[in-house]
Amino acid sequence: MLARAHTFTIQGLHTLRVSVEVDVRPGLPAFTIVGLADAAVREARERIRAAILNCGYEFPSQRITANLAPGDMRKAGPGLDLALACAVLAASGQLPGEGLERVALFGELALDGSVRACRGTLAVAQATAQAGLHTLVLAGARAREAQLIGDLDVVVAERLSSAVRVLAGGAGDPLPAPGADRDRSSQPAPISVQAGACAGDLGDVRGQHHAVRALVIAAAGAHNLLLSGPPGTGKTMLAHRLPAILPPLSRAEAIEVTRIHSLIGSSVHALAHARPFRAPHHSITAAGLLGGASSGSVGEVVLAHNGVLFLDELSEFTRPTLEGLRQPLEDGRVAIVRARHSAVYPARFIFLAATNPCPCGYAGELDRCSCSEAAMARHQRRLSGPLLDRIDLLATLQRDLATDQRARPLTSTRHARERVADARQRQAHRLTGEGVYVNAHMDPRLLELHVRLDERGQQMLGAARRGGLLSARGEHRVLRVARTIADLNASARVRASDLGAALALRPDLGLAASRIA
Amino acid sequence: MSSGARTDPQPARGACVSCLRRSWLLGELSGPLDYCARDRQRLLELLALADGELLDALAGRRGAELRARYARFEAESVDESLPDVESVCRHAREYPALLDGVGAPQMLEVSAGAGRLGELAARPVVAIIGSTRASDYGMEMARTLARGLAASGVTVAAGFGDGIAVGAHAGALDAPIGASIAVLGGGLSVSCPARRRALYRRVTRSGCVISELPSLVSGRRWGGIAAERIVVGLASLTVLVEGEQTDGALLGARIAQALARPLAAMPGRVTSPLSRGPHQLLRNGACLIRGPEDVLELLYPLGTPEDGPSAAPDSHTSDRPLALRRELRAILERVGLGCDTPDKLTRAGIDASDALLGLSELEVSGLLARGDGGRYVLRHPFRSDG
Repeated sequence: MLARAHTFTIQGLHTLRVSVEVDVRPGLPAFTIVGLADAAVREARERIRAAILNCGYEFPSQRITANLAPGDMRKAGPGLDLALACAVLAASGQLPGEGLERVALFGELALDGSVRACRGTLAVAQATAQAGLHTLVLAGARAREAQLIGDLDVVVAERLSSAVRVLAGGAGDPLPAPGADRDRSSQPAPISVQAGACAGDLGDVRGQHHAVRALVIAAAGAHNLLLSGPPGTGKTMLAHRLPAILPPLSRAEAIEVTRIHSLIGSSVHALAHARPFRAPHHSITAAGLLGGASSGSVGEVVLAHNGVLFLDELSEFTRPTLEGLRQPLEDGRVAIVRARHSAVYPARFIFLAATNPCPCGYAGELDRCSCSEAAMARHQRRLSGPLLDRIDLLATLQRDLATDQRARPLTSTRHARERVADARQRQAHRLTGEGVYVNAHMDPRLLELHVRLDERGQQMLGAARRGGLLSARGEHRVLRVARTIADLNASARVRASDLGAALALRPDLGLAASRIA
Repeated sequence: MSSGARTDPQPARGACVSCLRRSWLLGELSGPLDYCARDRQRLLELLALADGELLDALAGRRGAELRARYARFEAESVDESLPDVESVCRHAREYPALLDGVGAPQMLEVSAGAGRLGELAARPVVAIIGSTRASDYGMEMARTLARGLAASGVTVAAGFGDGIAVGAHAGALDAPIGASIAVLGGGLSVSCPARRRALYRRVTRSGCVISELPSLVSGRRWGGIAAERIVVGLASLTVLVEGEQTDGALLGARIAQALARPLAAMPGRVTSPLSRGPHQLLRNGACLIRGPEDVLELLYPLGTPEDGPSAAPDSHTSDRPLALRRELRAILERVGLGCDTPDKLTRAGIDASDALLGLSELEVSGLLARGDGGRYVLRHPFRSDG
């Protein structure tokens, strides 16, 4: 007899709908799973046999063939257990087969027949709703996660027998109380730093007003920012204060972020509200940063989606790692192609980097800087070119100002957040219907449309171009930043002072221009 | 170049066999010379020796072998990888007259052909020397000086190391008709570092790169010292832009004094270690240089240069400050006083957005440049009358 059940498998950040077909016929007792199953799926045979028997059902001592369709895609993970077990029961006549057609089943089985939750529940729920199946049966531990997707009937089955009852038309188990999560200890740390939790207030930053202004501009227009300065001037301190001044996630963004949380294995009970802030150490590999270390694993750029990716000591990262950032910085997504899978992941983030201006960090202080010209040239080469070309803002920090205790802070986090939210609102209003929401993502056509310079501004831009200070791409960057500065000043027009500030913040490495002859 | 050069006193390519042989010998003795270079004065003395004496002094155990090869020496075919390179020996017409003297190189390899060197050396030549580890101020000043001089038809001579020399070449090339002579411390084919290859090509386009060693001899430390003597020897005036008060930094000045050539220096802040060299020279009577005009005044004491394609000084230095608005002048003045970052300007009482606007306007109009560590530096000496 034949039975068919529906479930999903996780491939990186994507879900794949899998039809589980089980055929039970007379013959030598055997249980074969075909359809490119990985080790976890093949091991399911033992779990399913034990779970069925321990729930008081009969495991057919006949020839069982399970097929996972589509047959050309690799299936991974234990989430297929529940669907397989139910299909076996239906194929052996212990369960009405019609019930299986309308629901998706997702869960791992324990030997005693209880159902365990699996990572990626949110994505599976989303895919279930999209596939037109209206019911998702899964373990209670992650049921709240699935409920975040409206338009879907989430039914809890804590045991295989509960799932059988549901499929026969009965009711599901009650939803467990929040916090009664059994597998919490095995979870990875949450991927976002809660706003304000570990980072202090912007009001703690004394002096360095230039850099604080640049930080607010970066937040307001989602511009990429490079902080350059000697050690101990507060680069990292500033960077950690960026997420708190960013506007809250929109609902669509929150679902994207939560989905990523869910897929990497965190249990989520509510939509994410804090923007992700990822700060990988500089020993990270290209695969760790971009993804694809093992099949389907996602990288830091993806975890930073809709948030901030902070690379401290930028010049210490290896060359391939930094080069790999070019695609996500340009397109807001990263395409990973490996032998067994290829996938495109969203990776749109504010790129924030901190670096020393030269290897020793004290460039410009002749009595302290010990770098030769060759060492400085090497340092520059490592960062310059394509990567620097994708950074919109440079803020340099000075040491003499960092030690000034009388200096006052420029602004507080609360005030900065209000200004940023205000500027973002202006951008969103102006860019309505264009498919972008922030100035940093404006293409040349939109720049033409929304950035009108006054006469003085045009003269300045022309002079900068003639003087070789700006490339064509650099000019676009400066105009985007100028637009954001105007938005922060609540100005509809881009005035010369906005452009002047954007030009003063245009990136290089914080080393004398004349050294690059 | 396989012609029977032995019998030809002045071959087609401008170098006679004895001069080529001298150059070859220096290449062969490069190791011992490098050892002697610990004492710069001794190195210069050695370089002034005749071939035989040089062999006696340095050949050591290789003496017999080197002497035999010296006796058999025949000009080899030149390196084909550098097509425009020509040799000029001190007997050739193109050899710079000013350079000729005791201890001068007998032969020069010239990257852009012998004619170019003769042409450039026929104009007034000013050597710009200074530290290889220069500050952003020094770099800008070297650049401004070289640009102003090159625009007035003066040839700029400088080494090819880091720091001031690079600023000088870049400045000379900034001028529309500018040309400079760069002196390499090793053979032309092999001793130009990769990061300077672009500059090498740019210098060769209008000026030339020269070396006293055969093109395949790699550069060593002694070559840098020997190159300094050529730089100074080429020039009728030597300007020290920035350097500490050490023997190495003041070497060029010592050589100029030994040659009895006029010496000038550009001042800096007395607190900067890199100003000590120039200040020492100024104290001992060197001429004070504030900009290209001062150099031109020294070169042409009666007034304007009589020859040279352009008599007008650099347009940047004289015209622009006249048109400056008051608020920009105020910012320029403060940057000159040391309020050289946006934050410092703000603390000096200038509104933050005015400061950024002013800095950007001054930068795009070529009066300010970005320095190290986010600071701004003046590209021209500040003049209150401008």
